[in-house]
Amino acid sequence: MKEGLTFIFFLIVLTSICDTINQLFLKSAINSLSLASPITIIKIIKFIIALIRVPRVWISFLFSVLSLCIWLFVLSKVDLNFAFSIDSMHYIFIAFASKQILKEKVSFKRWLGTISIIIGIILVSLS
Amino acid sequence: MFKKRLTLKVVLFLVFTDILETFTQFCFKKGALSQSGFDIKIFSDIFNFLSGVFSSWFLWLGLLSVVLTFIIWSTILSKIDLSVAIPIASFSYILIPLISIIFLHEKISVLRWSGILFILIGVIFVSLSSEERQDSLE
Repeated sequence: MKEGLTFIFFLIVLTSICDTINQLFLKSAINSLSLASPITIIKIIKFIIALIRVPRVWISFLFSVLSLCIWLFVLSKVDLNFAFSIDSMHYIFIAFASKQILKEKVSFKRWLGTISIIIGIILVSLS
Repeated sequence: MFKKRLTLKVVLFLVFTDILETFTQFCFKKGALSQSGFDIKIFSDIFNFLSGVFSSWFLWLGLLSVVLTFIIWSTILSKIDLSVAIPIASFSYILIPLISIIFLHEKISVLRWSGILFILIGVIFVSLSSEERQDSLE
């Protein structure tokens, strides 16, 4: 079980990385569109159709499929609450990725949050 | 920026995505459980595993829920910033363990709950601090 758990942990890291890439592409695609204020069903449908036409969404989609396949294997091996908690790792990756790609400054609060997530992941892994 | 306005409607949608996300994970877990005895040793095992999992109707229900979540989430993100959406959306870090206990009969120790709490606080802090980047992006 022990060495199996390390492998599962590695797989969860992999899904987190896929999720991060997926989110970055999705957000960048959404940023290129706009949705005018009163939201109606028709507007949402139009928005989704416009979104599907952005090539970046397809890259995002590809990574989410990859992420899903790995995720399903992880779920077949470990408890849902364990896997989902560890998966919060993608917040750390997203923070670092947006720092590198969007050239943001990492504020004190974000470091604090990142450290808190790391402590949380360690606690969940220990239990 | 009008984009940052958080209306009651948006909050309701966010809570709804929380519930959908929890439902999705529950379905995925149910679908994956049917293949729990599977071990991947050679490359073709991956396909065998996936075809097994994808034959479960729970998985398709989960995927339907993902599509719905995606639509609502995309709409929300066009209205408000990610830094506002994520703290409310991270409510699922509490919902999922609860569902795990009730419906999947998983056990969660005090140590794990405290870990979850740290993660939740961390997620909120990480997303709150990203407010500062808005000006440089636009």
